[in-house]
Amino acid sequence: MSEPFEPKIVAFVCTYCTYAGADLAGTSRMKYASNVRIVRLPCTGRISPMFILKALQKGADAVLVSGCHPGDCHFAQGNYHARRRWTVFRALLSFTGIPEQRIRFSWISAAEGAKFTELINNLTEDIRKLGPFEQYHELQTVIETQATY
Amino acid sequence: MGIQEQYRSEAAGLLSSGAVKLVIGFGEGSTVERRRPVFVRTPAETERLVLDGGCVANLSTYLLTEGLLSDGKSVAVFLKPDGIRSINILAAEAQLNPEQVVIFGFDIEEGQVRALEGRKASDFAPVIGVAKAAGLSAELQKEAELLDQISAAERFEYWKDQFSKCIKCYACRQVCPMCYCRRCIVDVNQPQWVNTSSHTLGNFEWNIVRAFHLAGRCVACGGCDRSCPVNIPLRLINHRMAKEVLDAFDYYAGECAEQKPVLATFRQDDPETFIL
Repeated sequence: MSEPFEPKIVAFVCTYCTYAGADLAGTSRMKYASNVRIVRLPCTGRISPMFILKALQKGADAVLVSGCHPGDCHFAQGNYHARRRWTVFRALLSFTGIPEQRIRFSWISAAEGAKFTELINNLTEDIRKLGPFEQYHELQTVIETQATY
Repeated sequence: MGIQEQYRSEAAGLLSSGAVKLVIGFGEGSTVERRRPVFVRTPAETERLVLDGGCVANLSTYLLTEGLLSDGKSVAVFLKPDGIRSINILAAEAQLNPEQVVIFGFDIEEGQVRALEGRKASDFAPVIGVAKAAGLSAELQKEAELLDQISAAERFEYWKDQFSKCIKCYACRQVCPMCYCRRCIVDVNQPQWVNTSSHTLGNFEWNIVRAFHLAGRCVACGGCDRSCPVNIPLRLINHRMAKEVLDAFDYYAGECAEQKPVLATFRQDDPETFIL
């Protein structure tokens, strides 16, 4: 019997809201899928699109980017800038064939532990149904296995 | 007197009076219909300048040659409306002072060259207004829509085939007036964001990154597309980005020198339908 597929999900979160939200989920003893690997950053404005590409390159099946609600940014406007960037980057990824379901964006505040739990659980379920991102990972496998590269 | 002769004599006048130190224009190329950039420094040399339907390159890219504008002297350059938009963007991004750029404006319609009124970038606002009103290329939009209609997996296969051809020659970057970074992200190796060998994954990343960096900055001059030795349809991906910023933020790149870069600004009510 083969092991069920466990998706690898990388979450880039800002330290002031979503990370604190995840913390709240933990201290409130809420359970969420252990498939998520959280990377904490100062602000969503610090989350470069390169991070998303790197996560995919290193074998992520989905990427979540999350930060403070608009208006709540610790740095006043970091998330507004990030939002524009995501709009463009999401369209670009979609146009090059990286499914929108695999790259998610959300606003989760420090008080929304329950929302974080729910989002991670739903995302994990969705990606489990979708399966591993073979199409992308195959490109990496080729590099690792073929000496001619 | 045709426009070519008129611009030749004007260029000679500017050079002899010392108003400009250099004229960047077009000269004869390696075949009859091709034109290549020429750099004219003396009035006599203006005889080499050619202006006809083959002058399609966006010469604004040469203005950022290191040290060229740092002495405060002016340079004249032959530009189509797309090139004038490039000047506006470069000015907005503080890469050059538009006062130092004298523009010989022209446009090509059905192979015929037409002069554009004005000598400074700001003089061409009406021309750019007309270009904006005409909208993005309908032809490219059609091609891009065809791609948008197929499934993500099919699109991925399409681009995988395209990008697998890439040999990472970076001609697209070299020809692009917007690619002026002293140290390009692909040349950064600590950390190494983009794989530098030309395997498909690295090619994918490189082309995605370049398209992203051009979002809201590309003027669709087509330089990258023409220079690509393996014919990757870069115009499509750049068009898709231009369309996105136009639809989402009502942003048309290079309208004027005061226009803020699209990703360096925001509105509180920007669309965010995709954010959970």
